Amino acid sequence: MSDVQNYLSPHRLDDAVKAMAGGDTTVLCGGTDLSPQTDSGLREYAGTLMNIRRIEGLSGIDLIDGQIRIGALVTVTGIGNSQLLDELAPVLVEAADQFASDQIRNAASLGGNICNASPAGDMIIPLLVLDAVVELSSWRQGTVHTRQVSLDEFFTAPGKTVRQENELLTAVIFDQPAESFVAHFRKSGPRPALEIATVSVGIGGRLENGSLSGVRVAMGAVAPTPLRARSVEATLEGKTLDAETIRAAAVDAGEQATPIDDVRASAWYRRHLVCVFTEEVLNDVLEN
Amino acid sequence: MNRKSSDTPIEKTTLIGKRVRKPDAPDKATGKTRYINDMVLPQMLIGKILHAGRPHAEIVSIDVSAAEKLPGVHCVLTGKDAEGLRFGFVRDNVALKNRVRCEHDEIAAVAAETEEIADRAMALITVEYRDLPGVFTPEDGREKDAPQIHDDFPDNKSLHFEFRHGDLAAAEAASEIIVDNVFRVHHVTHCCMGTSCAIADFDSNGKLTIWSQTQYPYNYKMDLAPALGMHPGDIRVMQPPVGGAFGSKLDVYPYEPIAALLAKKTGRPVKVMFSREEEFRSSPTRQPAVIHMRTGCTRNGTLTFRSADVLLDNGAYTSWGPTIPVVMMRTTTGHYRVPVVHFNAQAIYTNNPYAGSFRGYGNVQTTYATAQQMDMLAEQLDMDPIDFHLKNAQQSGETTPQQAFLRECALDECLRTAAQASDYSAKHRRYTLAREQQGRYKKGIGLASSIHNAGGAKIHKSDGCGTILKVDDYARVTVITGASEIGQGIDAVINLIVAEELGIPLEHVTIVNDDSDIAPWDVGVHASRTTFIAGNGARRAAVKARQQILNAAARMTEIAAQDLDLRGGFVVREDCGTKVIKLEKLLRRMHFQPEPELVMVTDYYEPNSEPEGADHRSDHSAAYSHAVHVAEITVDTHTGEIRVDRITSAQDVGRVINRMGLEGQIEGGIAIGLGYALSEEMQLEKGMLKNPCFRDYKVLTAPEMPELDLHFIESNCAEGPYGAKGASELPTIVIAPAIANAVYNATGIRFFNPPLTPEKVARAIWDRQQTETGPSADR
Ligand SMILES: Cc1cc2nc3c(=O)[nH]c(=O)nc-3n(C[C@H](O)[C@H](O)[C@H](O)COP(=O)(O)OP(=O)(O)OC[C@H]3O[C@@H](n4cnc5c(N)ncnc54)[C@H](O)[C@@H]3O)c2cc1C
Repeated sequence: MSDVQNYLSPHRLDDAVKAMAGGDTTVLCGGTDLSPQTDSGLREYAGTLMNIRRIEGLSGIDLIDGQIRIGALVTVTGIGNSQLLDELAPVLVEAADQFASDQIRNAASLGGNICNASPAGDMIIPLLVLDAVVELSSWRQGTVHTRQVSLDEFFTAPGKTVRQENELLTAVIFDQPAESFVAHFRKSGPRPALEIATVSVGIGGRLENGSLSGVRVAMGAVAPTPLRARSVEATLEGKTLDAETIRAAAVDAGEQATPIDDVRASAWYRRHLVCVFTEEVLNDVLEN
Repeated sequence: MNRKSSDTPIEKTTLIGKRVRKPDAPDKATGKTRYINDMVLPQMLIGKILHAGRPHAEIVSIDVSAAEKLPGVHCVLTGKDAEGLRFGFVRDNVALKNRVRCEHDEIAAVAAETEEIADRAMALITVEYRDLPGVFTPEDGREKDAPQIHDDFPDNKSLHFEFRHGDLAAAEAASEIIVDNVFRVHHVTHCCMGTSCAIADFDSNGKLTIWSQTQYPYNYKMDLAPALGMHPGDIRVMQPPVGGAFGSKLDVYPYEPIAALLAKKTGRPVKVMFSREEEFRSSPTRQPAVIHMRTGCTRNGTLTFRSADVLLDNGAYTSWGPTIPVVMMRTTTGHYRVPVVHFNAQAIYTNNPYAGSFRGYGNVQTTYATAQQMDMLAEQLDMDPIDFHLKNAQQSGETTPQQAFLRECALDECLRTAAQASDYSAKHRRYTLAREQQGRYKKGIGLASSIHNAGGAKIHKSDGCGTILKVDDYARVTVITGASEIGQGIDAVINLIVAEELGIPLEHVTIVNDDSDIAPWDVGVHASRTTFIAGNGARRAAVKARQQILNAAARMTEIAAQDLDLRGGFVVREDCGTKVIKLEKLLRRMHFQPEPELVMVTDYYEPNSEPEGADHRSDHSAAYSHAVHVAEITVDTHTGEIRVDRITSAQDVGRVINRMGLEGQIEGGIAIGLGYALSEEMQLEKGMLKNPCFRDYKVLTAPEMPELDLHFIESNCAEGPYGAKGASELPTIVIAPAIANAVYNATGIRFFNPPLTPEKVARAIWDRQQTETGPSADR
């Protein structure tokens, strides 16, 4: 059992990343992943616990020069209530609406959902469909240095990402989708509420004359990381979304999934649901 | 001149059947209630338990020296400190173990100044184990060369029960249709919001005070004493508010004697409280079972026999779980008119967690089988299930093979009411036909019923309850009752009954029932008995007080006592309601007269039931009752998800006392039963629990509660208070088979092993498609 020696709650980003520079810091945001994990002994606190919720400038949802930027501290409730997202990227709002309970949504942050890097993270799937990048900030040579990493390349293993120990995730950025862009998300678990996804599927693309282009398909909880299903994308790209194409995409999605057996579901069931949901989400896309 | 308002006569009204809120509801809703889990005593130490974390092992060595040396640690106890202090139903348990028989076995315990120090001390204890091969199913436990779990229970045999009535072979030969199935019901646990907790403290005379969540404070002393080597008389049980019990606090579990042993050793109060994970791993479960059931009938739909061969997974120790055959047997023999019945049950020790009592107590498990077999027989007969049920339903005055006398039997009315309110027969036919058609979503409707004791259950020498009632100079009443309040609402029921008899406001009644040194004996909160037994006791005490008051009023006013009544805080004339004297004034006059008189009465109510007896032929309850549930569901045949759309319930409650409390009991009972049917399951892998948290152990949440249509059938029980019967377990008992029958109606697939999780349902539908269409090309 380790003990926290030091608690920080900076208001400024530079103070926060300066504190992270030396390592040995645990970042705390909503704590909805962190506290159950430390409580159960799954992970330990570092010497410094840093609460990032007071950092200014990381709580906005803005449209800047054709790009949507969501601050890392934005909560799932904030995403669900965003007028801007409802108009420009409603698939995020749809996913927020299937996320946990009100209490958890009020605390859970976007940055936390991504950095926790669960293959079941519900904000990650729609963001993959939106082809988002994450912004990582660190303290370098006396200033705040930022770099961007494609979300698609961010995850390396369950709970593992390319983020360095001294980097703070500060925002998620994606291009404003085209007028004709349609996307949907579906997740499931044994109950309709308060559920970690057994599997989830998100699909988006430009829908013109009944066919999809620029297709992106993402799946959650079917592989060690959230998964972009490129071959399913290829199956759909440019095709008319008829029953046959949809069926083929569903079968392909099932083949792409490499799920595991665990207490929540068997691999068989996860793969089965991927097929069902792919079909369902494509029908939703078509009906949009 | 206007008549003064104080002269207005008071009309006769009644509280019986009204909606009355629980007196502690505002405090609970606003967070003011101090539960036992919140309690802190001066000088109190925190006790923590080291669990084995393996299912079956010998302890080679244990070293606590480093833990003992940690500053802030007051004592560390191990198996040698509890040696010989055997407790439990068959004395097979000790508080701290020298050998491991299940995952949560208690190996050592620490008392320290703070929880953090106690945790650190636990980490400093080193134990060397030698793991042994384990037994994880009762079938394996019966094998010849199975590992032995207790030296003094050969062949891993725990309790055995048997009942036979009639010639089974002849009845089978006379049956034209027989259904024969094996049902395998699973481990679930109570999930009380307040985790298990006990605080123990000894005074210098060696008397133990234990603050406990127990739901049976008097026999609790008797059961706790041997675990401490004490005389039960030296134990005082305090019962602060608890966050649920549901049967889980009907026995002594090791953490309780551990708290006391730590308190004794340290001379300080010690609190032991489970984390949620400990609660999942270490508290009792519902008894799992393998039930081989056969039921037969003739072509015209008359039941001929029922037999049940039951194998119980006893777990590592014997608590109340393996005694459930006492109730399973009653359902096997009494659920509908069955002339020939054979029942046999054997419990086998395993290295799994062990079961206690849990709302429904054996009947949940048995009804899952009997009520589905009724549905299966109706189908084979090509008969509307409701007609088949009605044909075999008992009527008032019938006696079951076990001699349960159904004095007021409303099964018929329950069946008709539930079927009519839900339009059961028409929907059942429609959905059966729709089953064959295309479509992802399938609707289903299912009906199930059961019987349960509703006037206590005389499994102890007495099924009684003591009551002391006093009325003070201000007409405020204190009822000191043996009945425990664990959230079920006996407080509101007693308030209502006493207010009814004495004509005073509900708020003027105070209940004292949290201290075994004050309140008189009661057998405990179980068997749906408290409203019936303690309600009768409170009523009888109140009637005695009322008579004393009216007699005194008669002496003072020279109006005959039978012409007087108590209403609205006054003594009034019975016929016209005219006020005679204010009640509190009368009470003061009675008190401050030359021959002073206080109103203090006592009562011990013992129901007129017969002890269960070794041959299981007795009228063991003062009343019996039935409930019928109709479940309407929608199955997503792709994902396997079941949405419960609506439950129609018709239950014989005898008479409604507190309508709101009754609704709460039935709704809560249904919620527990739905969790059992659909989602709750302790996932055990070689005795180790894989899902000890609410993320992975799925209790029902609010959005999943279906629409409920509750019908209370009032059969007016002659022995019950105002005609009431016990009501709290039936809702949990009947719901799971109603769901299973509905799923069959929707899909044509029978589920013998609850819970009906989406995966299980999807898999069964998928497997059927495979056999129907042959190997599919697309997967
Ligand atoms: C009851 C319950 C239900 C849940 N239901 C869902 C659900 O339906 N769907 C779902 O996806 N998740 C669910 N979760 C998980 C969790 O709520 C989400 O993952 C949430 O978004 C995490 O955000 P947080 O702010 O609470 O993160 P925290 O717990 O504070 O942090 C999570 C991790 O990310 C790190 N971190 C946080 N912010 C940053 C940052 N800006 N930069 C670098 N590192 C950072 C932390 O150090 C930690 O390792 C549930 C959790 C609970 C307890």
